[in-house]
Order: sequence, then C-alpha cells, then structure tokens
Amino acid sequence: MPIYDYRGMALNITELDSEYKGYFDGAMKHKLVVKKCSEMTCGMLRGEPGAACPWCGSLNWEWQEVSGKGTIYSYQVITHAIMPAFRDWVPYTVVLVELDEQSGEPNPGNGLRITANLLNDDMEPEDPENVGIGKRVEVVFLDTDEGFSVPHFRLSDEEPAGEVWRYPV
Amino acid sequence: MEGRLKDKYAIVGVGETEYSRASGRSTRALGVEAIRNAIYDAGLTPQDVDGMLSYHGGDSTPSTTMMHDLGMRLNFYMDCSGGGSSTEALVGLAIGAIEAGMCDTVAIFRAMNGYSQVRIGGTGARAAAPIGGSDLLKRTYGVASAVQNFAFTFTRHMMEYGVTGEDLAHIKVTHSKHASNNPKALMKQRVTVDDVVNSRWIVKPCAHLLDCCLETDNATCIIVTSAERAKDLRRPPAYIMAVQGRGVKPGGDFHYQYAPITRVAGHYIGPRLFELAGVTHDDIDVTGCYDAFTYTTLLQFEDYGFCEKGEGKEYVKSGITDLGGRRPNNTSGGHLCEGYTHGMNMVIENVRQIRGLVDDYCPNWENGEHSYDYAEGGCRQVPNVNITMNMGWAMPGVGSALIMRK
Ligand SMILES: [Zn+2]
Repeated sequence: MPIYDYRGMALNITELDSEYKGYFDGAMKHKLVVKKCSEMTCGMLRGEPGAACPWCGSLNWEWQEVSGKGTIYSYQVITHAIMPAFRDWVPYTVVLVELDEQSGEPNPGNGLRITANLLNDDMEPEDPENVGIGKRVEVVFLDTDEGFSVPHFRLSDEEPAGEVWRYPV
Repeated sequence: MEGRLKDKYAIVGVGETEYSRASGRSTRALGVEAIRNAIYDAGLTPQDVDGMLSYHGGDSTPSTTMMHDLGMRLNFYMDCSGGGSSTEALVGLAIGAIEAGMCDTVAIFRAMNGYSQVRIGGTGARAAAPIGGSDLLKRTYGVASAVQNFAFTFTRHMMEYGVTGEDLAHIKVTHSKHASNNPKALMKQRVTVDDVVNSRWIVKPCAHLLDCCLETDNATCIIVTSAERAKDLRRPPAYIMAVQGRGVKPGGDFHYQYAPITRVAGHYIGPRLFELAGVTHDDIDVTGCYDAFTYTTLLQFEDYGFCEKGEGKEYVKSGITDLGGRRPNNTSGGHLCEGYTHGMNMVIENVRQIRGLVDDYCPNWENGEHSYDYAEGGCRQVPNVNITMNMGWAMPGVGSALIMRK
C-alpha cells in the first residue's frame, strides 16, 4: 500500500483508489492523463476522475493522455500557508487550468479544469505577479528523489488567445 | 404553490454560550449549557424536549451524551456530519421528524471549540495526517482551508464583475457596526474600509485577514416545535414559512468543472424557497447571510436575487444592509464579528429580531423597549420586523435557506 512522501506530506495512494491512482501513475511517466468514457457513443473526457461518466452514466473508462496545454481559468496566491509543507513556498500560486481538450463541450462553459501550482523553470513557485487569467500554460512534472511525481503548470511561450486579467495586488 | 407546512412549525427557544477564544472546557460542557439556555428560553424543561439534532465535523459531543447531562430521554436524534448551511437544513429535518411522528419537540445544537481545539482547514496534528481520495488533488497543491477551497470562485467573480477589495470591505464594516451594539460579540470594535484592505493578506486577491470570520469557541441551540405547541410558550414564536436544505449546484464538490463557477447554490434553491413561503424579496425585513468570508455574503445576495448578478458590490455599499437601512443584514455582527458558529447565530439573531427582543445595550430590551439609536454601544433592534430570511453557505456549490415570520 504505497504512501508517497511529497514535500514532507504523506500521500496515501492505494491500489483501491480507482479515482486518483492513475493520475499519479501517469505523472510518474510524465504523462498528464484524464479519464475518458469508453462508451463508443459517448467518449467524453472528464476533468474530475470520477467513477462514472457524468454525461452518459457509463461505468467504463480508461485513462487518456492529454496535451498538457491550457489556459488559466482562475487563480489564487496563498500568502498564509496553514500546511507546514508549504511554509517555505509562500507566497505560492495555485491555478485552475482549463485544458485545450474539450473546452466548451458539451455545453458552453464546460471544460476539463485541473488544479495545480504555477511553477517557474527552476520548479519553484512562479512570481505571483506573472499569473493572470487567460495566460497560456503547459504541464510540468515535479519529481521526487524516490521517483514519485506531481503534475504542475508553468507559463508557456504561446500568446494568450484573448485578454489577460490579473487583480493588481 | 405555497408550502403545505407553511407556518405549521416554529422556533420557540434560542440559546448560546459565551463567544470566546478560550472556553477552558469541553464541547460537552458548552453544548449542555447552550441546549439548557434554549430550552429555558422557550419556557420548557429538558423533559419536554424529546428530539435532538446536531451537526459537527468530528469536533463535537454526541446527542446521546448531552441528553444524559440534562436528564432528558429522546424519542429521536441524529448527529449529522456538516458545517455551514446545516442549521437551516436541520430545521427542515426537525419538521420532518415531528411530521413523521418520531418526536414532538427538537433541540438543534452545534458545539465547537473552534479556536482552542479544532480549527478550520486542518491545522495542527491534522496537517500531518496522510492525504488520500479527492484531497490528493487539493492538499497536494497546498489548498486546504475554506477560503483556499473557495478562492477560484471568488477570484473569477472579481474578474467577471469588477469587484474590488474595497467593495468587499464594506461588508465587514457593516457587520462591525452591528457587532458594536452586541454585548456578546467577540469583536466589538468598528472597523473602516482602510482597516480591512490594510490587514494582512490571507489569499490574494480575494481575502485579507479582516475578510475572514473569527474562529470561536462556542455552542448554540434552537428549539423547533409545532405551531400548536408553540402557542402557550414563554416567547413569541418565530413561525417557519419555508425552508430549503443543502441544495447543490451541478457538479457538487467538483462544480468548478461546470459553468459558471461564480454561481452559487442559492441560484437553484432561492426560487423554491420564495414560492413555498409565498413571499417576495420586498417582503423580507432582515437577512442573515452567511459571512464565513465577506465574499460568501456578496455572492449569496446576488444569487438569491436581492440584487442582479454582478450588482452585489453596489448592494453591500448602498446602506440597505446597515441597521437603519431598508433590509439590515447580520445584525448580530455575524461570523465576521460576533463569532463563527457554522450558521446558528444568524438564525438565533433573526428569531430575536422577530420577537422584538434583541439583546443589545438598551437597558430594558427584555421588555421589548428599544431606542432604535444605532450609534456605537446602542440599539440593534430593527423596528417592526415581520419576515426574516437566512442564507446558509457550506461552499459555492452547497447552501440552505430559511424564511421565518412573526
Ligand atoms: Zn460517457
């Protein structure tokens, strides 16, 4: 029953964890994966790796690699860490990223939205002044010495499709 | 269509302990005191109450212990897992239990050492506990506390509707004015917009320290019974016109996968509530709008329809929600200033407003004599309160609501 150490936190990812284990198994191969409905007539991806397809109800699914490219949909900059593991990262930025795949489907406003930290090229927290809703990001993987890995995002070189917004604080 | 049970049940007793940050005693001792206070407030004895409901996050004491200390025997009890928005939901469940013939009178309590024992968000020993399940995609990224869990909704709302920190600060300013007239309030000092926006950041860009509620040690209790039983009790009943409990928006815990993430549960349960009560927003004299953070209050005003979506920032600055305004909000000071109770204190306050027996600094408030002078250290009774509304919040996706009348 693997318990992984990540930044001093104990992540309990068990064989029975049919929702989240595959996400981190994928990360250890440096793949960002989401669940895909296996129903031929549906085939929808889902950002939250639940046990059934919210669109057709099927219990059949498989992990599917996605591009790891997306756009910041919302963000927060945490200046007061209540978890000891994050005290040396303060201030750190958490982003809600809308992946390029399946954006606006099946209904306007739907999307595959993934939570992660926004890191820089040194795999440290990105300067919070550089975050902004609408900015383009790409997945990166933060590896531990023990071979565990956690997906994060960093700002990409791509131009944003529309306006970028950041509250000026 | 109006509800079948409209006005058939009432809140007849309310009670609480001191709000403090050093209770120096157990949740059992706190809960027993609050239940006892509410039962005596109703003019009942513990033996007259045969139902009990509580809510907790693993931080309370069970009903089956509380009843022992008060010499009660229960025909019905449930200890439910839940925090904010449980109060209103349990009022509905109490009515259901009585309707089903399981009991006749229900005490609903919340007991918590919310500062000196179990704080919100998993600090202390809980911060070292192994992380599993859906927390793997949150705590692994340093998202643990309530405001961190809500912040994506708040930030996105700031972008879409142009809300500023100064706009939000007005909510704290208003509630602090109300708390300055509440001898029970943990934080009685009035604050300014500058005080709020100059307090230290907790989460940028949506929460300074003074945008956050006060973690508090306390217990609170309300007593629900039938209108028939309520008639000859000690206090004027607060009749329950309609209630909605823990309504959920699409996606539930994962609502941010669906649009719009700035929409909260009130959007879905508000219309049901008003229809069951047979009233409109114009009929509401006083609101109790959950203020875990200034932002929870603003979002709920919008989605329950007290203003248009995006107009919440104007609504909270207009004076409408101040004592002396058209529809005062959180007249006790709420979670931001009176103390954090997971919602019960805002229902208690509205019951007292309906009775005309708000416990302010007016010397003869117990006789219903109020000055209606809302200067600091004065009155907080709203004149001629007929109908009140509570809006409880658990998270953006989950809420409850309650309309009561004189
Ligand atoms: Zn499907």
